[in-house]
Amino acid sequence: MTADQHRVLEARGLTVRRRGAEVLRGVDLELRRAEVTAILGPNGAGKSTLLAALAGLLPRAAGSLECHGRLASAGQTAALARRPVLANVELALAWWGVPRGERRGRALRALAALGAEGLAGRGATTLSGGEARRVHLARVLAVEPDVMLLDEPFAGLDPSVRSELLYAVADVLRDPHRATCLVVHDRAEAWALADRVVVLLDGRVAASGAPGEVLERPPTPEVARFLGFDGELTDADGLRLLRPGHVALDPAGPLTARVTRRVLVEDAVRLELELPGGRLSCHAPLPGPAVGEEVRLRVADGARFAGARPTRF
Amino acid sequence: MNFIWDGVKQAFELIFEGNGDVFHVVLVTLHVAIGATLLALLAGLPLGLACGLGRFRGRRVLLALLNAGLGLPPVVVGLIVALFLFRGAPLGGLEWIYTLNGVILAQAILALPIVGAFTATAVDAVPRALFDQARALGASRPQLATLALREARVGVIGATIAAFGSALSEVGAVVLVGGNIHGQTQTLASAVLTEVSAGEYGTAIAFGLLLLGLVALCGGMLTVFQYAGEERGRRGLLPGWRAS
Repeated sequence: MTADQHRVLEARGLTVRRRGAEVLRGVDLELRRAEVTAILGPNGAGKSTLLAALAGLLPRAAGSLECHGRLASAGQTAALARRPVLANVELALAWWGVPRGERRGRALRALAALGAEGLAGRGATTLSGGEARRVHLARVLAVEPDVMLLDEPFAGLDPSVRSELLYAVADVLRDPHRATCLVVHDRAEAWALADRVVVLLDGRVAASGAPGEVLERPPTPEVARFLGFDGELTDADGLRLLRPGHVALDPAGPLTARVTRRVLVEDAVRLELELPGGRLSCHAPLPGPAVGEEVRLRVADGARFAGARPTRF
Repeated sequence: MNFIWDGVKQAFELIFEGNGDVFHVVLVTLHVAIGATLLALLAGLPLGLACGLGRFRGRRVLLALLNAGLGLPPVVVGLIVALFLFRGAPLGGLEWIYTLNGVILAQAILALPIVGAFTATAVDAVPRALFDQARALGASRPQLATLALREARVGVIGATIAAFGSALSEVGAVVLVGGNIHGQTQTLASAVLTEVSAGEYGTAIAFGLLLLGLVALCGGMLTVFQYAGEERGRRGLLPGWRAS
């Protein structure tokens, strides 16, 4: 199958206005079969608007949208009808146009794929948030669309339920016949689920590529900062942005910094450091140096941007 | 007090001796109430669904009209319907004046805003995300309407109970359009009026008790139906389902 045959949805110059303001500005996006694409971006970047526009639920102000197949989307809210879980999934299949005789089997298979077969007989109003999310996803999975759009499938869940569901859907999302696109808020979720990430900033595609590639080589300082490059060093070559993982305390390291703040994080301490030419942050094992203490550092390359200006001084 | 007690005794005698006239009035009342409620549902449900589900220009005006219609004076509606049904009037050709059809039409007009306004409110209270999700999965308009009615069924059946109760008990429009003709267009409510005017308090109380009983019986039955699915939903069971 060629790349063109894999392409199932293509948006070119997609522009969407809401209440007179441009929320999406000329977005180009391709979704391909067998690929999971994660849309990342801060609040208000236009992620949900992009998904709604791709689903055809919002009118386009400009641009084109081509879809070769049927598309199903799951909204941010796990809104279920007041009837049993199995009936909810069967109802989705009825909306999709699946013949009555096939509905029960497909509904049960979709629930089982998400580890929710035990919920089939339960009333939708009796489900917990995590259970309702599973059913919500099973409903879209059951219809077997060519394109599946999921808007923040893990929103509003506590961390333990979130990671459990993340684990449950990781394999389910990947299907050789389907293109999947999901909006996620958490970078770790994108890294765990996606083959390709698209970073949306201020309604525009600011970066697109394989997760490792985008994380290692963010194209702009804005993308890098959004991806957690919160340390900045300026030198003769320009601006260098670093993630906490790029910085390590090392008594033999070439740089000297002063600890300005300590924040406990699970089994480590996050240190904020000040040094000539910039500020960095890193994680250190407990108990870690005290505020005001001088430490020696070793730093990796991070992302370099010639000519860019630091923002934090 | 004896006067009232004697009336109540007379009422029970009339009811339990199987008086044919009394039961004919009961049948006419049910005929009018069921006919008017069905007509009101036929017109009111689409209006309520449109207001509750749709986002179109003029929706608020329509909602305001339906809500204002809840306060329609029955006598005025009866008068207007009668004026339209008199011979030579625009609807005179139907020959519905002083007939049960005329009475049903007038009662349906009174019940229509009840069904429409209450249905719109009940549908509006269903989370919009559910309808958005249904659209995203390809639900057609009739499927959306069915989903809305089912999700808002407590409110919609509540609207039906209110409309039916109004059609059972209303008297002004019945008298003006139907003429309150004994054995033909006289309902329980209008019969009470006639009997009181004639000084027949025992018969009036009998009709009154029957009307109250009918309202309680029909309201109770519809309420059982209204919450029939709710209890199963609370217990969360799919009928006949066994988890393997």
